[in-house]
Amino acid sequence: MPPPSRQPAGALEAKRRRLRDRWGLRTLLIATVLGMTASLVLVFFYAPLEAEQGFLQKIFYVHVPLAIVSLCGFVLGGLLAIQHLRTRDPRWDMRSYVAIHMSLIFALGTLITGSIWAKGSWGHWWVWSEPTLVSFLIVFLLYATYQPLRFSIEDPERQARYASVFAITAGAFVPLNFIAVRLSTAYLHPRVLGSTSNLPAPMALTFLVSLVATALLYATLCNYELTAKRTRAKVRALRRRLDADSGETKQRRPRSAAPGMATAISAPTGSRGN
Amino acid sequence: MAAPLLAEVPALPLETAGSYVAAAYVVLFALVLVYVAIMAIRMSRVERELGELLELVERSEQRPPEHSPDAGARESTPA
Repeated sequence: MPPPSRQPAGALEAKRRRLRDRWGLRTLLIATVLGMTASLVLVFFYAPLEAEQGFLQKIFYVHVPLAIVSLCGFVLGGLLAIQHLRTRDPRWDMRSYVAIHMSLIFALGTLITGSIWAKGSWGHWWVWSEPTLVSFLIVFLLYATYQPLRFSIEDPERQARYASVFAITAGAFVPLNFIAVRLSTAYLHPRVLGSTSNLPAPMALTFLVSLVATALLYATLCNYELTAKRTRAKVRALRRRLDADSGETKQRRPRSAAPGMATAISAPTGSRGN
Repeated sequence: MAAPLLAEVPALPLETAGSYVAAAYVVLFALVLVYVAIMAIRMSRVERELGELLELVERSEQRPPEHSPDAGARESTPA
């Protein structure tokens, strides 16, 4: 009987991590493509035309999921930042950074699609008296300061700590802002959350599929960016090691708003890997 | 297979609201496309850097070891 193969625990863990990364991203990508296709088919071939807005209401299925996912992403960034402050593991800071970065892109999409919808529906690109629009713009502008804040701090450890504090504070502001808008008296903007039961079943189904597809797209892009950042960090670590071996001078890390990637790949003892 | 499905589809009112709907969906896909393009540029940079590192490793493998005990003996021994 052949002896059981003996591999060091570190090598096994690294192999497992590589497999999880590869299959995780691949599975997410396939699910996203399927979800987006299903969403588009349902939007254009299944969901009925709305009585008041007609075909224009189809923007609802792209605009509202983008808004919900971006706001949830901002809150997620705050939660990941809490984990970073608790564990001091730089990988949580990296995840928080990626979650906020992606949410900012989705929020930009929300603002643009919202403006297009407003133009088609109200005849104006932007309505300053509408609290939902303005409050979302405030949230967007608040998070637009996240990257300059990071860039303004050179020390990576301090940068990560300050960014986490910002992410937590701003993350707490998002639901407060949402509730404040809900409590406001102007109800010009169509209500979605809490009133989905008023939607006809085909519209509700289409909306839910679109929401799931957008959430999957968010998760896939986050995972993709994290994988790319980890790869770049590994390449830089390898370069440093080779430079040290050949006796060349150590290259200084360029100033960046992104988390210190060299520290982000080296996990502290006892922390869980990803 | 697509023909019966397309026959069921109502004509898109592209002259009115359709252009706004198309613009909204194009925005989403343009954003994703731009993001993926930026990431592709970054990945090509990583690939280039990996190539440089491979070159560095190959060069260091071709160089004779400087601090090995044999190296000194070989140097002092006449050819």
